[in-house]
Amino acid sequence: MSTEVLDTAPAPETGKRLSREQVILLVGLPLAVAAIFAVWFIWWRTADLDDIEARALTGEAIRAMLWEHIKLTLVGTAIVVATAIPMGIALTRPGLRRLSPLVVGFANMGQSAPVIGLLVLFAMWLGFGFWVAVLGLCLYAFLPVLRNTIVGLQQVDPTLIEAARGMGMSPLAVLTKVELPLAVPVIMSGVRTALVLLVGTASLATFINAGGLGGLITTGINLFRFPILVSGALLIALLALLIDWAGRVLEAFTRPKGV
Amino acid sequence: MSTTSTSATTASGSQERHGAELVFDSVSKRYAAKGRPAVDSLSLNIPAGETVMFVGPSGCGKTTSLKMINRLIEPTSGTITIDGEDIRSKDVDTLRRSIGYVIQGGSLFPHMSVRDNIAMVPRLLKWDKSRIDARVEELLEMVSLEPGRYADRYPRELSGGQQQRVGVARGLAADPPVVLMDEPFGAVDPITRQRLQDELLSIQRELGKTIVCVTHDIDEAIKLGDRILILQEGAQIAQYDTPENILAAPANEFVEDFVGAGSSLKALSLSRVDEVELQETTTARVGEDARAALARARSAGDRGVVILDDRHRPIAWPSLRELQYMDRIPATRDDRLPVVDRRATLNDALDEMLAASQDGIIVTGQRDDYRGIVRFEQVTAYVQEANRNAERAAMSRLSTQEQQRVDAEQPSGATVDADRERVEPDATAEDLR
Amino acid sequence: MWPFIAERWQDIAYRMYQHTSLVVQSVVLATIIAILLALLVTSRRSLVPFANAISSVGLTIPSFALLGLLLPLVGIGAIPSVVAVTFYAVLPILRNAVVGLDGVNPALVESARGMGMSPLMTFLRVRLPLAWPVILAGLRISTQMSMGVAAIAAYALGPGLGGYIFTGLAQVGGANAINYALVGTLGVILLALLLDALLVLVGRLTTSKGIRV
Repeated sequence: MSTEVLDTAPAPETGKRLSREQVILLVGLPLAVAAIFAVWFIWWRTADLDDIEARALTGEAIRAMLWEHIKLTLVGTAIVVATAIPMGIALTRPGLRRLSPLVVGFANMGQSAPVIGLLVLFAMWLGFGFWVAVLGLCLYAFLPVLRNTIVGLQQVDPTLIEAARGMGMSPLAVLTKVELPLAVPVIMSGVRTALVLLVGTASLATFINAGGLGGLITTGINLFRFPILVSGALLIALLALLIDWAGRVLEAFTRPKGV
Repeated sequence: MSTTSTSATTASGSQERHGAELVFDSVSKRYAAKGRPAVDSLSLNIPAGETVMFVGPSGCGKTTSLKMINRLIEPTSGTITIDGEDIRSKDVDTLRRSIGYVIQGGSLFPHMSVRDNIAMVPRLLKWDKSRIDARVEELLEMVSLEPGRYADRYPRELSGGQQQRVGVARGLAADPPVVLMDEPFGAVDPITRQRLQDELLSIQRELGKTIVCVTHDIDEAIKLGDRILILQEGAQIAQYDTPENILAAPANEFVEDFVGAGSSLKALSLSRVDEVELQETTTARVGEDARAALARARSAGDRGVVILDDRHRPIAWPSLRELQYMDRIPATRDDRLPVVDRRATLNDALDEMLAASQDGIIVTGQRDDYRGIVRFEQVTAYVQEANRNAERAAMSRLSTQEQQRVDAEQPSGATVDADRERVEPDATAEDLR
Repeated sequence: MWPFIAERWQDIAYRMYQHTSLVVQSVVLATIIAILLALLVTSRRSLVPFANAISSVGLTIPSFALLGLLLPLVGIGAIPSVVAVTFYAVLPILRNAVVGLDGVNPALVESARGMGMSPLMTFLRVRLPLAWPVILAGLRISTQMSMGVAAIAAYALGPGLGGYIFTGLAQVGGANAINYALVGTLGVILLALLLDALLVLVGRLTTSKGIRV
C-alpha cells in the first residue's frame, strides 16, 4: 500500500491571482494609452492648423467636451448601479425569482435596439439635452449590470446559503455577508461592461445636443476636416480604454480576498 | 486554554460539558398534500450528551429529520423539544445560533478567513472581540490546527481535511449544547476521514455535546455513535440502539442487510484501540541528546523512538538507524506518522499501519497527548480472538433467527433501492428561505 | 405611422435589405477571419492571452470613434461601413473561437491524428464541430452588435436603416421626423430579432446531436 500524503494543504497564497491576459491589460493598457496620447498631444501643439480647425481644437473646447463626456459616463454609471443592482437583488429573492427570466429577456430585447435610434426618439419625445441623453444611455447600460447581478447571486453555492441560515444568520445578513460578497466579481464585471458601453454611447450624445467628444467627429465630418475628426475619434477611443482600465482596476480591487 | 469555562456560560442555556436532551414527538413532514410523507410520525428520544447517528438509504428522510431540528425544514406536524423547550417557541435565528451546524466539506465561506468563519456565530451573538479571539484560538487548537499558522488563511488555502476541521470548529464556536452534522466527513479521502473521526471522538469526550449526525456510512455510525438510528423510507425507525446491540441482534432483515454481511468482521470496528493493552516504548523530547535516546532504546530493545513535542504530542517515530545520524532530536513533524486516537477502532489502527507500512501505531488521548503504542501482532491476535467469538455468536444467532422469522411483523420485502431520492433534495431548497 | 409605411414600403424594404446584406456580409467575412486567426492563435498557446487582450481592447473602442478613424483612410460611403462592421464582428467571434478551439480535449485531437487524419481533416472533422456551439454563440453576439454599428455607420452615408434615423433627426419638427426615426429604430430591432432567430435555427441544424445541450 502506498504511503502518499493525502491530506496536504495547498501552498499558501502565491500571489498568482491574475491571468496573463489581465496582466497585459492592467499594465500594458495605460502605457499604450499614455504613449498614444503623448503623440497626439505633440502633434496638437505643433500642427499647422487652419482657422476652422484651430477654433474647433482649442484646449478649452476640448476640455469642455471631455468633461461633458466623462460626466455623461459617470452619471449614467451611477444611475445604472443604483437601479440595476437593487433590482437584480430583488429578482433573486424568493417571491420575485420567477420574474427574473422575463425581465432579463425583455432587457435583452431592448439591447438589440440601436442606441442612436433610442436617443433620437427620446429627444423627440422629451426634448434635447443632457438628462435625456443620460436616460437613453442608462436604458442601454442597464442590462449588463442587471444580468450580472442576477447571475452573480444565482451562482453562489446554495449549500453556503444553507450553512449561513443554519448558523442563525438573518436573511438580510446572509445577503450582505455571504451572497453579495461572493457575487461581487460577477457584478463588477457587469459594471465595467456598463462603463464601456456608456463611454461609447456617450459619443452619440452630441446628436441630441448633450455634448461630449462626439461633437468633434460630427464637426469633422460635416466640415470635412480630418484633423478634427481624427482628434475626436482618437480622444474618445483613449478615454474609453482608460475607463475600461479603471473598471478593471476596480474589479481587481473589489474582489474579495480568498475568492 | 482556560477560556472554556467563560465561553460555556454564555451560550444560551448551555451548561458546561453537557449537551441537551432532544425529543421528537410524532414529527411528520409532508412535501405534497398527497403522496407519502418524507418523515412519517417520527418519535425519538436523544439523551443529553450522547452522539446519535442517523443512517439509512438515500431518501429515507434522515437529512430531513436532521434539518427539522434547526428548522431549516419546518415539520408539518408534531413537536421537537430541546431540554423540554419547544423549538418553535424561540425566534428561528436565535434557535439556530444555539445549535451547532456542520455540513459536508465544511461549507466554509470562501471570502472569509478561517478566523472569520469560526467567529461567525459568536459575532452574531455579539461577544466582545477579545473573547472571540480567544475562542477562535482555543477551537483551532482543539481541531489540531495551529492558530498562528491557520487563523488568517482563506479556505482555498487549506486541504479538504483542514477545511472540514474548521467546519467542525465553526459548528462548536458558540459552545452550543446540540450539534447537528450532515455527512460531516463525506467529502474527504478515507485516511483523512478516519483521522477526523478520531478527532471528533476526542473532542466529544472532552465536551460531552448532544450530537446528531447523519451519515450513509454504517462503519462511521458504528465508530462514532453512542446510539445508531437506522431509518427506512418515510423515516420509519428500523432500529434504534447501541452499535453493539445492533450488530449482535439486528431487529429485522432490513437492518441486517443494511449493516452488511460481514458483521463478524464489523465487530472489529466495535473494538476500540484502548481495549488492547497499550505498550510502552522509548520516547524522547525535542532538543534532547539523540545518543542518550538511542542508548535508552537499545537497552529497552525497541526498534524506534517516539519523539514528543513540548506538549507531549508525538511528532515523529524514527528508527534507531535514522537516529544514529543525529546529534539532537529535531523538531520536524512527520506528516505520515501513524497515529490514532485511543477511541479509534482497531480497524482504523490496522488501516493506518498498513498505509504507513509500519508494524505498530502510536496511540494518543486528549488533545493528541501521547499514550503508548499498539503493535501489529497485538491487533492480529485480537482479530483472531474476535473471529472465534463471532463464529460462536453466529451459530447461536442462527437458531434465534429461526424463531424470529415465525413472528416477524416486518414484511420481508423491505429492501430499499438506492435511487429512491424522491422529493427530498428539491424540497429542501424550496424550504430554505 | 401606417400611411408613412404604406407610402414608402418599397424604400423601407430596400433599406432593410441593404442593412441585412451589410450585416450578413460583414459577419460572414468576420467569421472566416476570426476562425483563421483563432487557428493561428491556438496553435501557439503563448499567443492566447494576447489575442484575448486584443479582442477586449477592440471591443472597448466605441464604434463611432472607429468610424471617425476609418473615414480618412477609406473615404465616405459604403466601404467604411463594411470595414467598421467587420472589425467589430470579428472580435466576439475571435474570442469565442479561441476559447472553443482551446477547449477541445487534446486527447480527441491526438486520437484523430493517430487514426491518420491530416491536420486539415482533424480541424474540419473534430476541432471545428466540437468548438462550433461556442463559436456560434460568438456569432450571435457579433450579429446583434453589428446591427447597431451598421445603424451608426449610416452617418458616414452608409446604406441601410440608420439613414432613416438620421433623416428623422435632421427633420426634427417636420411632419415625418418621428416616423423616420421610429421606422428606422423598429426596423433594426425587427431585423436583429429575425437574424438571431435564424442563427438559433442554424445552430440547431449544424450542431452535432451528440453535443447539443
